Amino acid sequence: MGNKADVWQGTLALMVLKTLESMGPLHGYGIARRIEQTSGDLLSLNYGTLYPALLKLEQEGYISSSWGASENNRRAKYYELTKAGRKQVKKETADWEQTTAILARFLSPAEEA
Amino acid sequence: MPGLPRALRAWWLRVRGLFGSGRIGGDFTAELESHLAMDIEDGIRVGLSREEARRQALIRLGGLEQAKIAHRERRSLPMLETLGQDVRYGLRLLGKSPGFACVSVVTLALGIGATTAIFSVVKAVLLKQLPYKDPGSIVAVWTANQASGGQPLPSSPGDFAIWKQKSGVFEDMAPSYDDEKTLTGEGAPRLLIGYGVSANYLRILGVQPQLGRLYTDEEDKPKAPNVALLSDHLWRTTFHSDPNIVGRAITLDGKPYTVVGVMPQAFNYPPTVEIWTPAAMAPSDFDDFKHRYVRILARLKPDVTVAAAQKAVNALQAQVDAAHSDTDGGNRVVLVPLREQLVGDIRRPLLILLGAVALVLLIACANTAGLALARDAERQKEIAVRLALGATRMRLLRQFLTESLLLAVMGGVGGVLLALAGTRLLVGLFPNDVANLQIPKVTEIPIDHGVLLFAAAVTLLTALLFGIAPVLKATHVDAGDSMKDATRGSTASRHTNRSRSAIVVVEVAFSLMLLASAGLVVASFQRVLNADLGFEPDHLLSLQIFLPLNRYPGEDAPKTSALVDEVVKRMNALPGVNSAAATNFLPLTGFWGVSNFLLRGQPAPKNGQGPEADNRVMTPGYLQTMGIPLLRGRAFTDADREGSAQVVMINQTFAKEYFKGKDPVGEELNLGSADKPDWWRIVGVTGDVKSFGQDQPTHADIYRPLDQKPFPIVAFVLRTGTDPAAMVQGAEQALWSVDPDLPVFQAIPEDKLASQTLALRRASSALISGFAVLALVLACIGIYGVMAYAVTQRTPEIGVRMALGAQREHVLRMMMLRGLRLAAVGVAIGVGGALASTRLLASLLFEVGAMNPLVFALAIGLMLAVAVLASYLPARRAAAIDPMKALRAE
Repeated sequence: MGNKADVWQGTLALMVLKTLESMGPLHGYGIARRIEQTSGDLLSLNYGTLYPALLKLEQEGYISSSWGASENNRRAKYYELTKAGRKQVKKETADWEQTTAILARFLSPAEEA
Repeated sequence: MPGLPRALRAWWLRVRGLFGSGRIGGDFTAELESHLAMDIEDGIRVGLSREEARRQALIRLGGLEQAKIAHRERRSLPMLETLGQDVRYGLRLLGKSPGFACVSVVTLALGIGATTAIFSVVKAVLLKQLPYKDPGSIVAVWTANQASGGQPLPSSPGDFAIWKQKSGVFEDMAPSYDDEKTLTGEGAPRLLIGYGVSANYLRILGVQPQLGRLYTDEEDKPKAPNVALLSDHLWRTTFHSDPNIVGRAITLDGKPYTVVGVMPQAFNYPPTVEIWTPAAMAPSDFDDFKHRYVRILARLKPDVTVAAAQKAVNALQAQVDAAHSDTDGGNRVVLVPLREQLVGDIRRPLLILLGAVALVLLIACANTAGLALARDAERQKEIAVRLALGATRMRLLRQFLTESLLLAVMGGVGGVLLALAGTRLLVGLFPNDVANLQIPKVTEIPIDHGVLLFAAAVTLLTALLFGIAPVLKATHVDAGDSMKDATRGSTASRHTNRSRSAIVVVEVAFSLMLLASAGLVVASFQRVLNADLGFEPDHLLSLQIFLPLNRYPGEDAPKTSALVDEVVKRMNALPGVNSAAATNFLPLTGFWGVSNFLLRGQPAPKNGQGPEADNRVMTPGYLQTMGIPLLRGRAFTDADREGSAQVVMINQTFAKEYFKGKDPVGEELNLGSADKPDWWRIVGVTGDVKSFGQDQPTHADIYRPLDQKPFPIVAFVLRTGTDPAAMVQGAEQALWSVDPDLPVFQAIPEDKLASQTLALRRASSALISGFAVLALVLACIGIYGVMAYAVTQRTPEIGVRMALGAQREHVLRMMMLRGLRLAAVGVAIGVGGALASTRLLASLLFEVGAMNPLVFALAIGLMLAVAVLASYLPARRAAAIDPMKALRAE
């Protein structure tokens, strides 16, 4: 997919959760755009893959959905975090920070050398 | 990461998604529409045309359909979804051809059911967990000697002691001997099958009693206080499960014994034993090399195989033979693994039946495959269309396999139901009280998980076997070709024909193998049934007793004779009894004994290998009562008493073997030894009696007058005018009126005994013929199906032929010939297979060679007749085709 980085599976879920945490209820298109913007347009997201990811999160009970009206008064399906989802964001964030911290220790000495 | 409950929740929602229910993700199309609309609006806002905005939005989405598919796959379980589709589609297809479905399911149910039923027996008998410690390293040790028939027999205590000390391959070795006991003081006197077993014998088996304890080495010594262990059966029946039985005194052979324990229910070694008492052998007993009465059980050292132990013992026995040539000459030691010892005579018949039933299963598979092929050929167009529309071969393959599985599972369920019904009948294979057959006691054959698992595995295997042909073909279909082929085909493609022909050939070949085998077994059974027992078993009641040695000691011979004489007299006087007599070893009971003899002028044998004959006694009326013919000389009379001249009778086998053409009457036999001769004059020759069963060889017999040689085992025989079973009570009363404390071991009509002896053979031949008939019917259906299909397929071709002037007879012949050619190839292969395999039947054959030409000819004839019948009906239909209609149908 071009020269931008692809979003790989595990991280997409966290991005979605984090986006919903900071933005509040949002529709699928909005989530996709927001993820691209947040990444500074470094990420290319195949919007088609977002919906299965949303469905998965919903099946797992981390987000819930309901129909509402968009900014332009268009019918859209809005997603928001559930209580379990909020907890999951904290947990996954902590996990990620730990993972990246560990990885950083491996990577930084190499940079110094 | 979600925890397991969340994963489960997600999975459950996906399962619900399968059925289109569930709120989550249910309105994706609308969501997608709103997504696109928003994206397009954003595009227009930055100055793109509507078309361009839409194009870019779709690119970002990665395609509308693809997005929907990705979503749907997440929404439910796609694998299960297609499985569900396949199952529904398969069921609909089966519903469309109910004939095919019925025949296939019934065929498979029969095949799987028969296989499962036989397997359940094999599992219950051959694979049963033995309730002993590490049973794989326990062996029974026997001595065989060609001079006494070469069968494994008990050993001498002297040999036992040497093997135990010197062989180096046994961790432990223990002696035992049979020791019948008379139980009194607990209702009617009872004779118990008892074993004197050493204390370590029970330790070798590694069993613990369910109540009390085993006896100790101290208690297993001569002159130690008498102790006994009871079987579960004896404890439950005679002692009414008395929980305080341990420590109680019971009376055996008139002496008090203390019960120290009750063995567990599963413990039955040696089988049918009711009471175990210490062998209590004295050290001096082990100097005895002459008397062979010790039944040995041993545990091999770890890492020693049975073969290695056998080799070591053989080497040792060669030395013993050299040192004790007078007693051990020609002795061969036989090690028998415990399982084999227990399973005995039933192993081979069971394996043969399992083989037979496997053939039936294969025929059932071939049959279903044939039917499926014929049906699937009609689906060629459907397959081609689906391929052309983009179905992957994998997808088609999966669908075909699902359909096969569907049939197989229905057949499997039917099969298990059949097996459940069948095992009840199969219990009849195991008559529990057949004396001269060694078969394990089986009272129930459970259909347990093991058997169910087996049935499931067989079901899967059949699905693969019969499903494979259609699947292979499906993957070979070329969309374009097949559409062309199927629209204006006149004959089937070569490939299709070949697989159907193969199926017919296989069915015929397997059926013929089964037919030939069944024919041989049934012919053998007929021979056995018709074999002359040498006496008249109907209207003959037998009553066996064992005289307790404490009241009828061996040295007090007159007391025994007086008892027998009096009882025979009273039995003779019973109304309905034509005559009564007594002997020691009653034919067909499995009891027997031998004695050595020397002919006059014969030198004393060097190494104890003097000739032996069965040692029998009888009262004067015995031959007449039994219906045994007198061939020469005279029978015993009341004048042949103790004190009068010692006389014997011999049987025909004896006369042939030792007197060749000479007249034995008047000759003398030395029944003592070379140093201490004991001469008996032969006064007559009797006909041969099949004492060990119709299918067993006759031994040389010596009969002596019971009065001159009383014996502690007595069997009374009564020739009755009416049903002998009704006379049991009267006969017992006659016995008890003379001695009320004598237990009756067994009272049974001789014809029943004879019939029991044949039970295993009868059941085997009934089952194998059943399987053969089943195979024949299946093959008939199979051939019919394939031929009928060929006719349907060739209808246009036949129409053309007839329009061009072919005669109906010609068409008939053409179609019949095709069927017969295939059958002939099958027969040829089947004869080859049968010739190669019927040798395995040896244990079920009797006086019928494994290649008996008559049986083979009949089997071939029958098979061909069935093939003719199965091809005739379709061929006649082909000949009846109306050419006009056939051509118009094109």
